[in-house]
Amino acid sequence: MKDSLKSSSYDALVIGAGIAGGEAALNLANTGYKVLLVDKELSVGGKMIMLSKVFPTLDCAACITTPKVSEISRHPNITIFTGSEVSNIRKISDNEFVAKVTRKPRYVHVEDCTACQLCEKACPTSVRDQYQFGLIGRKAAFIPFSICSPKAAAIDIDNCTLCGACERVCPTHCIDFTMETETNELHVKTIVVATGFNLFDPNNIPRYGYGKYKNVITAMQMEREIAPTRPFHTILRPGDGKVPDKIAYVLCVGSRDATVGNPICSQICCMYSIKQAQLLMGALPMADVTIYYINIRSFGKGFEEFYQQAKGMGVNFVKGKIGRISEKENGNLILRYEDINKGKLQEAEHDMVILSTGVLPTKGIDGLFENETLTLDQFSFVGQSDMLASPAKTSIGGVFVAGAATGPMDIPDSILSAGAASSEAISYIIQHA
Amino acid sequence: MEIEKGKTAKYLREKSGGVPEQAKENLKEFNRIKKLMLEALAQEDLTIKQLTDKLNMPSDEVVYHLMSLVKYGLVATGDVDDMDEYFTYKLKK
Repeated sequence: MKDSLKSSSYDALVIGAGIAGGEAALNLANTGYKVLLVDKELSVGGKMIMLSKVFPTLDCAACITTPKVSEISRHPNITIFTGSEVSNIRKISDNEFVAKVTRKPRYVHVEDCTACQLCEKACPTSVRDQYQFGLIGRKAAFIPFSICSPKAAAIDIDNCTLCGACERVCPTHCIDFTMETETNELHVKTIVVATGFNLFDPNNIPRYGYGKYKNVITAMQMEREIAPTRPFHTILRPGDGKVPDKIAYVLCVGSRDATVGNPICSQICCMYSIKQAQLLMGALPMADVTIYYINIRSFGKGFEEFYQQAKGMGVNFVKGKIGRISEKENGNLILRYEDINKGKLQEAEHDMVILSTGVLPTKGIDGLFENETLTLDQFSFVGQSDMLASPAKTSIGGVFVAGAATGPMDIPDSILSAGAASSEAISYIIQHA
Repeated sequence: MEIEKGKTAKYLREKSGGVPEQAKENLKEFNRIKKLMLEALAQEDLTIKQLTDKLNMPSDEVVYHLMSLVKYGLVATGDVDDMDEYFTYKLKK
């Protein structure tokens, strides 16, 4: 593809448009600064917009996220680049950074798209939907998900057969296959890194059978199954479409586990599993839900009460470390585990297993900077140079960090962290004006 | 090359020298499975287990494709069985 180079200036560049990046961008924009908010995905909202509910209040995640996302999208001081990646950041002086932002073509003029979905209906192709974590298909011409922002179609060019059916039915002629990759050179005064986290890939622990046994899924897949914008009409086993009635959660999958290179606690897995267990008991009143844990870490406000509430609802908690999962012919799963309290090896049969995967750092952030070194901590999260007095400061003056880019944290802590980062960034701009 | 608005797919097809083989194969496979499923459901309403047996396909593949057809509006969900375990699926009229 031919690149076109555009140059522009903003007060702040916020990398990552999840809940932390969005909050930081809003704070900066509300103070009167021009912000460029960049995300590699096709929508802002990060991981939070994909969740069903939040713990421990059980508030609807979309009901919290969508007004915020809408505010971000409509803010006159915020420019959003989705489907874009930042690279080659150079610090020129104390109040000038130059960054390269590459915008991949969406093949849809977002401002003209009415999200009528006629292109989706006309598209003959079906591929696995990454926003439903592969549980269901989507078209090559598609709206990423129903509450995405910008609410506009996109073309998955790798899976498109270029038949032109989408173009023919588009009432606003907003589909444009002549769009090309754009490279933007940005001049900014400060940068907020809000690149969030990755989830551990359970394929790296073969003994749990993820990928091999179809009724072993991740908690993020279950999150989609219980969300209002769910892939199936109800909660089903992906292996055979059965409504499950004996569900197991395995905690600390890829966290607190030095053998997979991630010795730290993910801080959110206990609570999101307990949240899902409660939601499952509401959705499937006859189901038995068992949580296999090493320790329940209910450290936050209302967390212990939330844990006790789950117990009171009948969620079964077993202090046990899973050794191996195997599959029966009927798709049920046998969990072989060490019952820590009894000091015995036990086996239990479940018809669906959910792996509560741990939090990992986003890779490659330190490589974004050309002439400065962004120091990472020992676990490869962005290092905080003054954690107590100034938690958003990094090793580079003028570059601040927000949310789970600094380490595992829940949504309220991410928002607090974003507040700190935006305040520091504003202060930096004022000091270096 | 003059590019006509609303016909830009042709432009990219010609520019990139055709359609990627993988995309063509995916489409062919989806159409084959869709046809098989819709033909089977045209005869009678079926559960995923019955469809799996009838089409001789892995059950997880049946779930994936059938749920996609539900999403695309071609198949509707029917009743659940007496054990509240498996739903029946039918063609959308």
